[in-house]
Amino acid sequence: MVNFLQYLLGSLLPSWLITLIAYIVITTVILIVTPVTFMLQTWFERRMVARMQDRLGPNRVGPAGLLQAVADGVKMFTKEDITPRAADRYVHLLAPLVATAPVMLLFAVVPWGRGFETADTNISLLFVVAISSISAVGLMMGGWGSNNKFALLGAMRAVAQMVSYEIPAVMALLSMVLLTGTMNINSYSNLQGGIPFFGKTLAEFGVPDLGLGWFVFTPVGLFAFAIFFICVLSEGERTPFDIPEADSEIVAGYMTEYSGMKFAVFYMGQFLFNYALSVVAAIVFLGGWNFVGVGLLVDAGLPWLGNIISVVYLLVKAWFLFFVMIWLRGAFPRLRVDQLMAFAWKFLLPLALVNIFSAAIWVTIMFWGSDPKWTANLSIFGISLLGWLETLPIWGRQLFALLVTLLINLAAFRQVLLLNRRTRDETPAELAQDQAFGTAVLP
Amino acid sequence: MNIVIMVIFLVLSAFTLLAGVMVVTVKNIIHAALWLIASFFTVAAMYLLMEAEFLAIVQVLIYVGAISILILFAIMLTRHVTGEGVRQLYQRWWIALLVAAALFGLLIAPTVVNYSWNTVPPTAPDQAATISSSVQIGTAFMREYLLPFEIASVLLLVALIGAIVIAYEERSARRQVLTLAEEVALRQQRGASLLNAATPTAPDAQHTGSAPSQP
Repeated sequence: MVNFLQYLLGSLLPSWLITLIAYIVITTVILIVTPVTFMLQTWFERRMVARMQDRLGPNRVGPAGLLQAVADGVKMFTKEDITPRAADRYVHLLAPLVATAPVMLLFAVVPWGRGFETADTNISLLFVVAISSISAVGLMMGGWGSNNKFALLGAMRAVAQMVSYEIPAVMALLSMVLLTGTMNINSYSNLQGGIPFFGKTLAEFGVPDLGLGWFVFTPVGLFAFAIFFICVLSEGERTPFDIPEADSEIVAGYMTEYSGMKFAVFYMGQFLFNYALSVVAAIVFLGGWNFVGVGLLVDAGLPWLGNIISVVYLLVKAWFLFFVMIWLRGAFPRLRVDQLMAFAWKFLLPLALVNIFSAAIWVTIMFWGSDPKWTANLSIFGISLLGWLETLPIWGRQLFALLVTLLINLAAFRQVLLLNRRTRDETPAELAQDQAFGTAVLP
Repeated sequence: MNIVIMVIFLVLSAFTLLAGVMVVTVKNIIHAALWLIASFFTVAAMYLLMEAEFLAIVQVLIYVGAISILILFAIMLTRHVTGEGVRQLYQRWWIALLVAAALFGLLIAPTVVNYSWNTVPPTAPDQAATISSSVQIGTAFMREYLLPFEIASVLLLVALIGAIVIAYEERSARRQVLTLAEEVALRQQRGASLLNAATPTAPDAQHTGSAPSQP
């Protein structure tokens, strides 16, 4: 966008004004497209859940019910805006904004396709992590400002959940940062060209760039993707983890006292958060805009066609991940709070840590001897320990790294599963204690 | 261009100062915490204005995302600390003001005297593109300041283990929450064993009052 405007207006305006205009245009486009995305999301979710529950869903307003979201919007706008008398007025008013504004900020760094990059900073992944943690403040404000027990409980649950699941998510992203050596989200898609398992390492043998060298096909990437996606489900309060707004327990959580447009703004923030994190997951793990065709078209000298197709590919991947979220909502019941926390701290976090370890091993195998920084005199009794790596071709190294990291990750997975199994030998003692003191313990 | 940046800087710093003053003058302690978050955020914006992106993002990540959440949690989990009736100024407030002003003057004086104002440090035109603060910070941590970095991480580990030790509950003292189905199954099983022992009532009938009665 900046380059385009520079080309159009370069002789007329100073360059800082062109940059300013370009970013204003980008911001305007983002602020128009995201609410439309939200409307589509609500329609899509209702239709899909209806299909899974053997219903029809909204199908009267507009073609296939597509305008249902507009009707909902009109209804939301005309509803009375109620602020409870005991509520803290300003905190109550500001909470939806504080919860939703960070989500909008997330879209500032997420690219839309090849050549459609919104902002180019070299810390965009860290930006995603940092900004998404702000909305917890908004939830807390909503829960406290409503002066309602259910709202406060919901906010507490939401924030505890977000804080816990942020850690494995960051660890999963960290292993990918280690693997790629960059935190710039725009460069991730380009790194995932080539063919599955080998990436671009076979290009010298004439293997075409099929755009399928996704990180999810490597053991490190697969584990990181699973961990990250579960954490996304939890941070976005999707169904297995929708404890903060469990309607059968605490009315609607922190949204209990909100009505009309304020409620809609909360809802929008949540849906767009899910969508933004789906896009991030698609870019970092599922190849981003890379798929069969983009690389071929660019190599054939048609980069503009490749750019357009890349936007479609990225949209399809992001919407597929959002569909998986809906699918899970149709399939799974809600977890309990203790199960939620145990899963984050005892299962996901150890796996994520081991995953970082195997990412480091991957990087060592791939880069050993390639640079003065990557050479060291590691030898025992005159036998070089890692020197033989330098004799391998690059695809052989990739294969070796795949095998080693797969072994490490599988062993870690098995070990974590074993550690989390209920210890059977303690149960008779617990049962006796239960009968003595009246606390209930499962046999 | 410089005037635009100056205006942005002045607005940001005015808001930071306002938020900081509000933190200590507002009576409601939750409002104080929220103003604190606002001031953290504007400080991050100032870092961004100085093109220290990494520092700005880390400021948001640690101060806004973690520390302030911790503060809010601590306040909300403690009962009756809204602080509405607390006096904030005591009789000899002017002594405190004097001491604070003197300390501030002492700290700011060397900066004011030694700093050459209104000079922009010269940068080569192609240098701006190559500066990458995250890479520089990373190399600084891993090369020059490796020992302090490691010591800080060991300190954090100690704090983590200490928190676990304090919060650790003996397994025998732990109470498990059962779902309704598990409770029914447990009661049925216990009912069978109690019938065998020919005892009329279950020992924990008052604890599980919500469960359906035994068949």
